[in-house]
Amino acid sequence: MKIGIPKALMYYFYYPFWKTLFESLGFEVVTSDDTSKSILDIGVKEAVAEICVPMKVYTGHVLNLLDKSVDYIYIPRFVSLRKGIFMCPKFMGLPDMIKGLFDGIENKILTHNIVSKSTDISEFHNYTVFIDKLGVSRKDLKNALKKARDKWLEFRTLNRQGYDINELLTSDKPKKYDGDITIGLIGYVYNVYDRFVNMDLLNVFRKLNIKVVTFDMMEERIIQRQLKKFKKNMFWEFTNMLLGTAYEFMERDDIDGIIHITAFGCGPDSILEPFLTIDSEKHKKPFMTLRIDEQTGESHVITRVEAFTDLIRIKKYKAEKTVEGVI
Amino acid sequence: MKITFPYMGSPYMYEKLFTLLGHEVITPPKPSQKTVDYGVKYSPEFACFPLKVILGTYLEALELGADTIVTSGGNGPCRAGYYGEAQKKILQNMGYDVEFIIFDEPKRDLKTFLENVKKIKGNNSWRQVIKTVKTVYDMAKSMDKVEKIVECKRAYECNKGEFTKAWHEITEEYRRIESSEDVKKIERKAIERLNSIKICEVPEEEKIRIGIVGEIYVVMEPSINGNIEEVLNAYGAEVERSHYISEWIDFNLIPLPSYKEKEHQILKKGEKYIEIIIGGHAKQSVGAIIDFMERGFDGVVHLKPFGCLPELVSQSVIDKIMREYDYPILSLSVDEQMAIANVLTRIEAFLDVIKQKKHRKRIAR
Repeated sequence: MKIGIPKALMYYFYYPFWKTLFESLGFEVVTSDDTSKSILDIGVKEAVAEICVPMKVYTGHVLNLLDKSVDYIYIPRFVSLRKGIFMCPKFMGLPDMIKGLFDGIENKILTHNIVSKSTDISEFHNYTVFIDKLGVSRKDLKNALKKARDKWLEFRTLNRQGYDINELLTSDKPKKYDGDITIGLIGYVYNVYDRFVNMDLLNVFRKLNIKVVTFDMMEERIIQRQLKKFKKNMFWEFTNMLLGTAYEFMERDDIDGIIHITAFGCGPDSILEPFLTIDSEKHKKPFMTLRIDEQTGESHVITRVEAFTDLIRIKKYKAEKTVEGVI
Repeated sequence: MKITFPYMGSPYMYEKLFTLLGHEVITPPKPSQKTVDYGVKYSPEFACFPLKVILGTYLEALELGADTIVTSGGNGPCRAGYYGEAQKKILQNMGYDVEFIIFDEPKRDLKTFLENVKKIKGNNSWRQVIKTVKTVYDMAKSMDKVEKIVECKRAYECNKGEFTKAWHEITEEYRRIESSEDVKKIERKAIERLNSIKICEVPEEEKIRIGIVGEIYVVMEPSINGNIEEVLNAYGAEVERSHYISEWIDFNLIPLPSYKEKEHQILKKGEKYIEIIIGGHAKQSVGAIIDFMERGFDGVVHLKPFGCLPELVSQSVIDKIMREYDYPILSLSVDEQMAIANVLTRIEAFLDVIKQKKHRKRIAR
């Protein structure tokens, strides 16, 4: 049996987990192709017009998988990864949305609710649906979940050590990259790591000799410590992580500037925005929002990143010079 | 403490509550172009429309001298529950020294909740507070009851504008109440008055009934939804909404199961399409569509603020419902760009479809 996993949204955070899980249960795992113009276009065509770009991309990937004659497309319903904190409503309604868009797709969708206490989503109770639907035994499922968890924790450990997710997912010998200035990149994994949608942003940085730090590289406790500053956390798990990471970046001297990469139509980010813009200014930390959408054209991204980082370099080296001068 | 609050539908419940408790109240002006302009100017570009309008409302109220904003919070995951925090940040950054009293669910932060209650309670006795709350609740119930009559009968008025005029005068009457007894008196008078307006009945089979569903703010606030109820009424269609403030209070604030039954039924009807509550009113919107359909309404208008997180999920499902049941549903995005001419054209076309459908059905019989 072939299980298809769309290369979009949480793929970038959980693929090692999912791949190990299904393969340990004896299934073949197929992913959709890398995001491309045709995947994006078809997603834009089929999805609701006003929905955010990542959801459109996801829709395109679902159709791409249908062409690969998979038996099931795995579309989990992420509900919560922490008590009292949810995922964006679009994640919570994702299987409903896909079912609504295409007639007769219900039987092709493998879905279940994920309600977890942490980002470790290996809790058994979430997967009992598989026992009937995939005909696996409880014991096998438990073993597979354990294997998947181990694999995922390994992936997260490397990620936290500074290897970016694309390196870890696509290369056997992942590399770390350095630079003469460091940018804190605030953005969800599917915006940061989807090379097509973000015009290969990470490589743009590399060519400009810029080191990038993202939220997925941060230790959980650092994020949580920052979040304690807020009387009320935001409702969305990953938005909170971005919020905590951003405040850490604002305070840290080794971060020379912050870029917020956000997709057109992202609701949680619109609430995050005033906090980042207002407080980065208070912290005197250079800040820029980079908005990506379905209009593909990479020159504006490069131009904006160049301009922003040029200013940072000028500021940084001017400051160093002054210090030297004084000495 | 000069209190103000968000403007949604009728501002008189809030106004009455705080006035009867002896506070100084700055009732915000009805949202206008100025409100929208203010909101758009100072809100994040991709914030949802209600956040912008409500921020605009606050700015206008602050100009009028308000210094305290009372509003509700929420548990998400819809953005509305975080409006207060975001707006506080924006207003403080603009230099306003304003206090926000945000009522979150007590179980989220009991201490803050009780502090907030104390601020609102002031020197009033608990007896007085309970009496006031009851009066305001009765007023909300009563106003909704009367408004439902208007939404239905206005479709058939012989002289255009009579019902709207009467309704405005009736709301002014409600504004003057002091007690639950006043509410009863005014309601009686109001219904008498509405019944005395001349109506030109149309045959039962030609009557058109439209349900309005969607995100609560854009459904409830006529000044930003293109006055859609009046427009539909003017075209001869009866209207019923999926949201009335008193029903919201029943479901959200009264901890008795019997008060929640209606909403639970609606949610059940939406379950086939949206399995769990995903925030906002997405599941309710879908449930309400099924409900209106089952009750024989001829079509539904679905209102959503541009980019609204939950309503975009319901939007994906609504297209399927239209195909599955061949049921007319008109989805309208509400935002600062909404042009009235566009809305009118779409409503006209929508009603034409419904009329033709009804006509074909009659012939078939």
